[in-house]
Amino acid sequence: MSERTILFNARLIDPASGRDETGGVVFENGVITDIGPHISRETERRNGVNFVRDAGGKVLAPGLIDLRVKTGEPGAESKETLATAGEAAAAGGVTTFVVMPDTDPVIDSVALVDFIKRRADGVAKVKIRPTGGLTVGLEGKKMAELGLIAEAGAAFFTNGDHPVEDAGLMRRAMQYASGFDALIASRPDTAALSRGTVMTAGAFAARLGLRGAPPEAEWIALERDLMLAETTGARLLVDCISTARSLEAVERARAKGVKVACSVAAYSLFFNEIDVGDYLTYCKVQPPFRTEADRMALVEGLARGAIDAVVSAHDPQPPEDKRLPIADASFGAIGLETLLPALLKLVAQEQISLAQALRPVTCGPASLLGLPQGRLETGAPADLVLFDPDTPWLCDRDLLLSRSKNSPFDGRRLEGRVLQTWVDGRTVFERK
Amino acid sequence: MADFAYAFPHRHLLGIEGLNRLDIEQLLNLGDRYVELNQQRSKHVDVLAGQTLLNLFFENSTRTQSSFEIAGRRLGADVVTMSVATSSLKKGETLIDTAMTLNAMRPDLLVIRHQSSGAVKLLSRKVDCAVVNAGDGTHEHPTQALLDALTIRRRVGDIGGLRVAICGDILHSRVARSNVALLNILGAEVRLIAPRTLTPPGAEGWGATVFTDMRKGLEGCDVVMMLRLQQERMDGAYLPSAREFFHFYGLDAEKLACARPTAFVMHPGPMNRGVEIESGIADHKTRSLITEQVEMGVAIRMAVLETLAKNAPDIGSKNA
Repeated sequence: MSERTILFNARLIDPASGRDETGGVVFENGVITDIGPHISRETERRNGVNFVRDAGGKVLAPGLIDLRVKTGEPGAESKETLATAGEAAAAGGVTTFVVMPDTDPVIDSVALVDFIKRRADGVAKVKIRPTGGLTVGLEGKKMAELGLIAEAGAAFFTNGDHPVEDAGLMRRAMQYASGFDALIASRPDTAALSRGTVMTAGAFAARLGLRGAPPEAEWIALERDLMLAETTGARLLVDCISTARSLEAVERARAKGVKVACSVAAYSLFFNEIDVGDYLTYCKVQPPFRTEADRMALVEGLARGAIDAVVSAHDPQPPEDKRLPIADASFGAIGLETLLPALLKLVAQEQISLAQALRPVTCGPASLLGLPQGRLETGAPADLVLFDPDTPWLCDRDLLLSRSKNSPFDGRRLEGRVLQTWVDGRTVFERK
Repeated sequence: MADFAYAFPHRHLLGIEGLNRLDIEQLLNLGDRYVELNQQRSKHVDVLAGQTLLNLFFENSTRTQSSFEIAGRRLGADVVTMSVATSSLKKGETLIDTAMTLNAMRPDLLVIRHQSSGAVKLLSRKVDCAVVNAGDGTHEHPTQALLDALTIRRRVGDIGGLRVAICGDILHSRVARSNVALLNILGAEVRLIAPRTLTPPGAEGWGATVFTDMRKGLEGCDVVMMLRLQQERMDGAYLPSAREFFHFYGLDAEKLACARPTAFVMHPGPMNRGVEIESGIADHKTRSLITEQVEMGVAIRMAVLETLAKNAPDIGSKNA
């Protein structure tokens, strides 16, 4: 006997089709079977169980897709497991996320990719896709078995937070991967410029007496990767750009026909260097918070559709690695539960529209990975999120579901809360 | 000297930033009185009798550590000094655990030096007693700036309107950051002289004029403060060689001649003779204030400790 859900009186937002109208969706067996303004309380029931729900005029959108999440599984489960990250994701309206290969052991083999997939299917409430390490052990010395790992189901390849320094190896990896059209993600960073730094370089870091990473660290690596993508024809995802000039470089390359996409961490759209303030270790992240001009340029880029994906850059860190002098503290901030609210804050400030906010967390990343979800259309998986874009709330890290609490949003006023999340038609989160 | 009716409003001394002119003058005036006391045969007072001063040095120091010890003893406090090797922290106990442990021993004053910027502020949030920053990373070293001001005030006079040059490794210097802030509050004209690789980004915005040419920078200066070339902090090549640094930025008689003929020379120590300063200048009988700075250091630390101790809530009453 099939279960059928009818959701009506929702504001349907689908960035893929441009849909923004009041109506409803019907889904059964995990798939959307009907959608549109014609769906209402009176929509015909059929045999079997029918759940009918009034969405109260709130926003119904495709569940979010997050291309950058770290958990501690395997190797550091005290930070976060796939299960706890899944809980946090569901509460944040994220229905699919991609985990980075920086684990212990590193996800650089068919066996590990397989482990993550099975484990995620078994324990996590949301869809989790592993990535494959671009190099063995993320050491930047030997190419991993890219072809086999791609066949095993890796979403893309990346060296995570260990950017490949060897340009020769990067070039060969791109050449090789382009043979089967695999996507390579690379967070642009030049270790020689950023090693040992705490925040972005500049007058503020100098006043605090902290070592700063100059933006050139990002630009140099970015230009190298763009050049290599151009000459090899590889598909490149520039992971977490953080400056105005980086976005310009990506747009220039894209205009030339380079197969390049870019992502931005949600925190880069929300914070600037001044937020590091009183040596706040929760604000110690890679790439670092940059200048206000950079932040504004990225928000403008979002408005004109130049940014393919906004990611949470979720990186759980326990207190013993964060309650330290900032120079000794670890990098990273959690973000799964604040990804959507951070974007909705920009909507509330009228800097971007709702569709512009949702595109880089729905159909943007879905089309990069060739996923069927991330859109509201008949036949698509019923991965959905219902949220109220106007609820103001105060972020309290202790109330977040992630196992680690290192959120730079702690104490911040945010707008917009998730009310309910569905994965394949099943409710995985409901706010009481 | 009359007491101010103004009460020092801070619980800790974490930096010069956040202090105002009255705060600073109050400390300098009290420092003046302790200079007089320290020149007597009997240097003992009992304003801190019964109180415990804990010196917590995570970074090696000879002069600052002994200066605080002597200051505490002369005020009658029970002084305990702990040199905490960073290796013991690596064993798993975090910095905050260490602070909480020591806090439970109920010190009244905690003097902390740490190699990381911001570490002293972090610890000050976790303890009940008054905290003095004895140097945190490349951020601040407030008692050094205060002792420098006391030295200048006693030898040259009013700091307002003086032209003071600070030369050398500004980038890695907490002494420079604290001094620029303090000298600005007291109305001096501050000049920073350093090669570009040792000039912090945005230093023009600190309320100082930045020079790369030492001779030009020293023109008309009343006071020349030299900084130690912090070689141990350099993990890269900021400079081609010590020899080249001395050639362009080492203080010798010839460069000092560019300053005012009466200009005084200061150095926070320990000196690298022949790197940033020539021995003849360092030991100059009338123009070098370097040993006097050390003397002022004890007096100003007595002033700081007494002022903070007076401000502290009576933590003993928690037992009642």
